[in-house]
Amino acid sequence: MNLELKNVTKAYGSFKALDDVSVTIPEGKLTVIMGPNGCGKTTLLRYIVNAFASKMPIAYVPQETYGSIGMTARDVVSLGRYDKSKFYISESEEDKKLISDAMRYMEVEKYSDRNLDTLSSGEKQRVFIARALAQNAPWTLLDEPTSNLDVRHSDILMSTISSLKRSSVIVLHDINLGSLYADNVILMKQGKILSCGTPDKALNCDILSKAYDTHFMSAQIGDRSVYVSSGV
Amino acid sequence: MEKKRHNVWYKVLISAVILLAVMALSCCVGSVKIPVKDVIKAVTGYGEVSKATYTIVNKVRFPRICMASLVGGGLAMIGAVMQGLFKNPMADPSILGISSGSAFGAAVVIVFDLNFIFHGFTGTYLGAMAGALLAWFLVYNIARISGEHDLNSTLLAGIAISSVLSALITLLMTIHRESMEQVYLWMLGSFSNSTAQRTIYVAIVTAACFVILIIMAPRIDILKLGREAATGLGVSTSRTTGILLCVCSLLLAFCVANSGIIGFVGLIIPHCVGFMRVYKMRGKLIMCFLVGAVFTLLCDTLARTVIAPGEIAIGALTSLVGAPYFLYLMLKNLIRERRMR
Repeated sequence: MNLELKNVTKAYGSFKALDDVSVTIPEGKLTVIMGPNGCGKTTLLRYIVNAFASKMPIAYVPQETYGSIGMTARDVVSLGRYDKSKFYISESEEDKKLISDAMRYMEVEKYSDRNLDTLSSGEKQRVFIARALAQNAPWTLLDEPTSNLDVRHSDILMSTISSLKRSSVIVLHDINLGSLYADNVILMKQGKILSCGTPDKALNCDILSKAYDTHFMSAQIGDRSVYVSSGV
Repeated sequence: MEKKRHNVWYKVLISAVILLAVMALSCCVGSVKIPVKDVIKAVTGYGEVSKATYTIVNKVRFPRICMASLVGGGLAMIGAVMQGLFKNPMADPSILGISSGSAFGAAVVIVFDLNFIFHGFTGTYLGAMAGALLAWFLVYNIARISGEHDLNSTLLAGIAISSVLSALITLLMTIHRESMEQVYLWMLGSFSNSTAQRTIYVAIVTAACFVILIIMAPRIDILKLGREAATGLGVSTSRTTGILLCVCSLLLAFCVANSGIIGFVGLIIPHCVGFMRVYKMRGKLIMCFLVGAVFTLLCDTLARTVIAPGEIAIGALTSLVGAPYFLYLMLKNLIRERRMR
């Protein structure tokens, strides 16, 4: 089912993190949310989880996971297969396949028996993303998943999500990575949606300049538009 | 993976066998030495033993040994839950404020000489239990003031209540210096007052809490992923935290009221179990119970035998014996981790 948000407002004191947001996020597509710091991207993702988790499972990975996890990488990925209706958790063949596939996609098999607390931030992030992929939920929501990833693993992540054809919402800061893989883009500023649609329609230099308060230039490489900031 | 899972149960089995062996051994030693076969006969009721042996084993040593095992296992489990919930390796049962509440209740009874016996329970025991429940009531309600169970608020409320109660104990001891030694010794912990009746109550509470914690163990792992990730997996952070804190508080109240404050067990045993490469919470809790029970029982056996007929405070022994062993395990683990990189 599509995620229908109507007139959503979320405030922290007098600060409106989401200001009367109405949007439809289409099922089966990869939607990328972009926008400057503090524009409400994370608040929007969290709102979706809290509003829809009672109706269906949602795989969510936060920006950062704080504190000691104290489990092996495989243990963490296997949490994605948690079923609260079962007391004794034995992994079915399907569970095992989903876990090993997710670990292979994110290239974290080699950390399988390593304690997560001993991994680097990027390696941990890949394990958490693998955990979300193993959940195989109707919706996958990732908040800045590429913030600690190198170029190769950012590409691997986006191409994996794109090729799996799962309904996904991803918050990204990399405009070009987002526009390359997204089916649908939501550009936000100050708790409101500035533009929404396919990357071709929703993104252009003027609207990006307006969103980020900095000048943008674009260049055409093949059939792709590449955006570069040209200074404040 | 099958191999790995069997590995955990293999460790559980070995620990359980060690616990039974240590329990039997502990029954044999003391001011009167009793052969193992007589201990088994007295406990199981199969075979004839002298009346004195029967009384020593069944009325004195066995309740105390069971109490030490239950309390040690309980404290280690609570420590593992706290470290998992707070995602902090330094978390231990004392952060709930229950231990200080218990000590305060016991101190009030000792200082004001309220020593009565009610249905077989001493005033100190009932005072400690009342103090623990009072502290739990305060921490629980302060932490829930926003309507949800918030871990940071629980931590801060626990520290604040604990500090106030510790200050009050110091004040009581300063004003009534003649009771200082007695209060201090109670706080250092001992299993010398264990009776069959008390042990049965602790066993019932520990068994109930053990079952609930084991059922909820995977949820503690999931909470580590963050509030929304847990929500996405159908686990409510607030409800799960609330239930876990209540169960741990109840178990801790019974442990501390019976034995006084035994530090170190709740902090260190979960780490020792981690060094044994048991990471997932369900296996970890079972292992913590067994290892905590073995460790506390060994310490209590030493406490009552080394300077017999006198006793060493168990709280001092757990640190004295446990700390060097913990350091050894930590260094061994660090070296192994370095080799793996």
